[in-house]
Amino acid sequence: MADTIDAYSIQNWLESCPQSYLMDTEYGHGPEEKEPDFILDNEVVLEETIKATVQLVVGERCALSASSGLINAAPDEASRRFLATQTLDEARHVEVFTHRLYDLGVKKQDLEGTIQRYANPNLVKFAEILLEKVDRKDFVSGVVGQNIVLEGMAFSVFEMMHAMNEPVNAKFAHTLSGTIADERRHVGFGENRIGSLIQQHPEKRPEVEQMQKEMSYFMLATFADAFRNNQTANELEAAGIERPHSEYQGVDLGTMEPEEMEQVLADTVLKEFKTRLGRIGIEYQTPARP
Amino acid sequence: MVDPLQSPEEVEGRTERRRFVLEETGFDEVPKRYRKFYRKWRGPGDQLGPNEAICPVCKVVIRSSRELWPGDRLYCMPCMSRLVVVESADGTLEARVSY
Ligand SMILES: [Fe+2]
Ligand SMILES: [Fe+2]
Ligand SMILES: [Zn+2]
Repeated sequence: MADTIDAYSIQNWLESCPQSYLMDTEYGHGPEEKEPDFILDNEVVLEETIKATVQLVVGERCALSASSGLINAAPDEASRRFLATQTLDEARHVEVFTHRLYDLGVKKQDLEGTIQRYANPNLVKFAEILLEKVDRKDFVSGVVGQNIVLEGMAFSVFEMMHAMNEPVNAKFAHTLSGTIADERRHVGFGENRIGSLIQQHPEKRPEVEQMQKEMSYFMLATFADAFRNNQTANELEAAGIERPHSEYQGVDLGTMEPEEMEQVLADTVLKEFKTRLGRIGIEYQTPARP
Repeated sequence: MVDPLQSPEEVEGRTERRRFVLEETGFDEVPKRYRKFYRKWRGPGDQLGPNEAICPVCKVVIRSSRELWPGDRLYCMPCMSRLVVVESADGTLEARVSY
């Protein structure tokens, strides 16, 4: 199979993505699928959902800038073509999550204002660290920051959100499963391409490790803000709506306090960083805990 | 060659690999002719068959039409990783990335 389709080719992307799981979708979900009433009819839950979706848009806008910026920093033709497909994937993610904001009632003219109001400053810092590397055309740091740190985080966050949404919101679960499928290619590219490049550039290690430590800190701070101030669980309880008993990493998300969920997610992502970085020969640096 | 088992390794003392008939699993993240060779992992309680291994990079379960043995080389199409099957300390099979 590796012999029949070039892994980083546009052809592989066409057959795997638009001609496969994105077939017959509109903005990432089935044309008939809608956001559920328990979100749309409850002001508090609606606002929390908008807030959470804004963070996804912010993260994806960063991924779009990073992957497009890295095209011209890539040392080889195959990487440039792969990053072109990733750029389109990330642009699609920006679009589908933005469209979700519209589905949640955000008016087009209020989009930027809504993003500015709710964007988590720690997530913005996280993005700035990465984009500074991309601006300097530092391919090794850029790919580790984007395809291992940012995407490693996104992968776990999307999986957790998917587990929570699957029983109660088929529309958003569908959108998430398409983005998870895209992320598989992105993390695969990150590890496989950088795994060999870092061996050729061992002098890059300290800088990359420092970047990972800083990005991880701002990621944890973002998680802390997102879970600790979240009113969704209380509001659903007050309204007599039982949270779904979704399983994630062997625990029941339907019975956990938000702080416990934060802990599970943070531990999962950091553990993933450690193994992913370890595989490519970079020593994971433990971030400070916010 | 559509099977993810790219180069089967000879293992001393073992002669014949068990064969498996693969059916569609609903996995749709690769071109059609490759789909039955993958499935989604259902989390920590999910039991793997003797012809299956989890991709450590993208967490998809890779399935071959033949039993997997240590030393086998696998290709994970959803994330484009090349892997080697190894026997872990507890005797179960595990896939490791090879760069
Ligand atoms: Fe993305
Ligand atoms: Fe991505
Ligand atoms: Zn994989």
